[in-house]
Amino acid sequence: MIDFLLTPLHYEYMVKAILVSGLIGGVCAFLSCFITLKGWSLMGDALSHSVVPGVAVAYSLGWPFAAGAFGTGLLAAIGMGFVKTKTRLREDAVIGVVFTAFFALGLLLISLYPSSVDLRTIVFGNILGISDPDILQVVIISGVTLLVLGLKWRDLLLFCFDANQARAIGLNVTVLHFTLLTLLSATAVAALQTVGACLVVAMLVTPGATAYLLTDRFGKMIGLASAMGVGTSLIGAYASYYFDGSTGGCIVTLQSMLFVLALVFAPKHGLRASRRRMRGVGAQLAAPFEGGPPRPARGPEPVERARSAPTGEGDLGGRP
Amino acid sequence: MNTLLEPFRYGFMVDAMVVGVAIGAVCAVLSCFLVLKGWSLMGDAISHAVLPGIVIAYAIGLPLALGAFASGLFCAVATGYIKANSRVKEDTVMGVVFTGLFAFGLVLFTKIKSDLHLDHILFGNILGLEPGDMRNTLIVAGITLAVILALRRDLLLYCFDPGQARTIGLPVSLLYYLLLSLLAVTIVVSLKAVGIILVIAMLVTPGCIAYLLTDRFGSMLWIATGAAVFSSLTGVYVSFFINASTGACIVLVQALLFVVTLAFAPKHGLLVWRRRAAAS
Repeated sequence: MIDFLLTPLHYEYMVKAILVSGLIGGVCAFLSCFITLKGWSLMGDALSHSVVPGVAVAYSLGWPFAAGAFGTGLLAAIGMGFVKTKTRLREDAVIGVVFTAFFALGLLLISLYPSSVDLRTIVFGNILGISDPDILQVVIISGVTLLVLGLKWRDLLLFCFDANQARAIGLNVTVLHFTLLTLLSATAVAALQTVGACLVVAMLVTPGATAYLLTDRFGKMIGLASAMGVGTSLIGAYASYYFDGSTGGCIVTLQSMLFVLALVFAPKHGLRASRRRMRGVGAQLAAPFEGGPPRPARGPEPVERARSAPTGEGDLGGRP
Repeated sequence: MNTLLEPFRYGFMVDAMVVGVAIGAVCAVLSCFLVLKGWSLMGDAISHAVLPGIVIAYAIGLPLALGAFASGLFCAVATGYIKANSRVKEDTVMGVVFTGLFAFGLVLFTKIKSDLHLDHILFGNILGLEPGDMRNTLIVAGITLAVILALRRDLLLYCFDPGQARTIGLPVSLLYYLLLSLLAVTIVVSLKAVGIILVIAMLVTPGCIAYLLTDRFGSMLWIATGAAVFSSLTGVYVSFFINASTGACIVLVQALLFVVTLAFAPKHGLLVWRRRAAAS
């Protein structure tokens, strides 16, 4: 049994993969606290798809993949910002148009020069086959990201919570905006290696969202998210040995399971807690909820939601 | 001349064009509603979320489309439920739910041995359609289109102003689920042709193009459909000559149309803005 469990650790590539995943998971989770507060979750999704043409070009020219990916990621972000400010289109529509165009461009390039890069490596990541130069790139990206976040986290936090307040007390909001955008692109590039373009957004959102359910203090939220990011990445990468290599799938599935647990059982913001509060308020409404998941009134809620959720009319999702 | 006509000599090319046009038209009509409603990224979420449904349906022998539809709808409903019952923002919830489902699908996919091609699910395979596929696609696309057009006034009011729609007595809840179901069906139909990721473009870009060109919803529908049909035909046609991914070509033609519109649109384009700014 012990032998069976230790088998993955006998392979050098597995050990490397587990450690690198842990590092990336931690950095992404750290950043995810800011991203979820700022409401940029889908920006992360868009950027991670937009890096594909950059990766394709970089691989075929023999450049470091991170340079190309980072380049097109930023280009897409700037393009979205430009179209958003110049037209009457909603932000979500602009994001949709721009990132799919970039992704299609990447797909076109790869189908034109099929030998240069394997599409699956980009879309699903290939942490098990990561090369040493790539590890170096990931380590550098992670180091720089952690450094910037460590130095600037107070300013960034205020910017994420309340951009106007940040402007009012004299912070340079434009610089902060681009700093966060740059960090997002950089970590998306790093995470691309582990989980691939489709699942990067999970690494950049789920730990933050889970931690947000568990605590009200930002310092704690960062700690919890990072711990979950590192833990799920280590375990996911390890478990993927038994799952024929879908590392990204394993890591993100674990993170989602943690989110579901937090959603149901979180001491203050979980479904059970709010259920109990509701019962405390209106005891006569006590609905039978033993023996099944809590199901609050289902009927009118989609309508509420549809009415109260007109996404994308604030500035870059910066609504309070 | 002969070279230019060559694509039409191959049955699979003609089939691809027919299916491309059908899917393009349905997606374009729906995209007008989505762009107005602000649901562009709902398409993104649902399309990624169909993966586990496809794999499970395959494993237990159900039609793949049914599984895809079910898990796509599940994603939308779960997003709504979590959004309504927790303090997490909607965009975050969407990100968490659809990536969770997609990742789960991937794990299932590697565990369940199947002859499904992940590449075909992700990027589509419009040149390799089977005769049955084509018939099903056309039928479902036709029905979806008919439902949307028949209910277009109700849906339009719902998208513009749900409060008003409720006040005049429309079944708002029903319309919400109807629109979600239409979205899920359209995505499932389009999967075979353009794949999970590029269907998002087909569901957003034509609506955006049309929205920049007109202020009237009726003409918006026509312009979006026209742009999508043109893109599908051109994309399939061009991909034959440059030997590239067909789905990518279709989407890139749409993106080019969008850029051209963005620059030159008579009322909402960049050049007009520039001129207006200069004049004032």
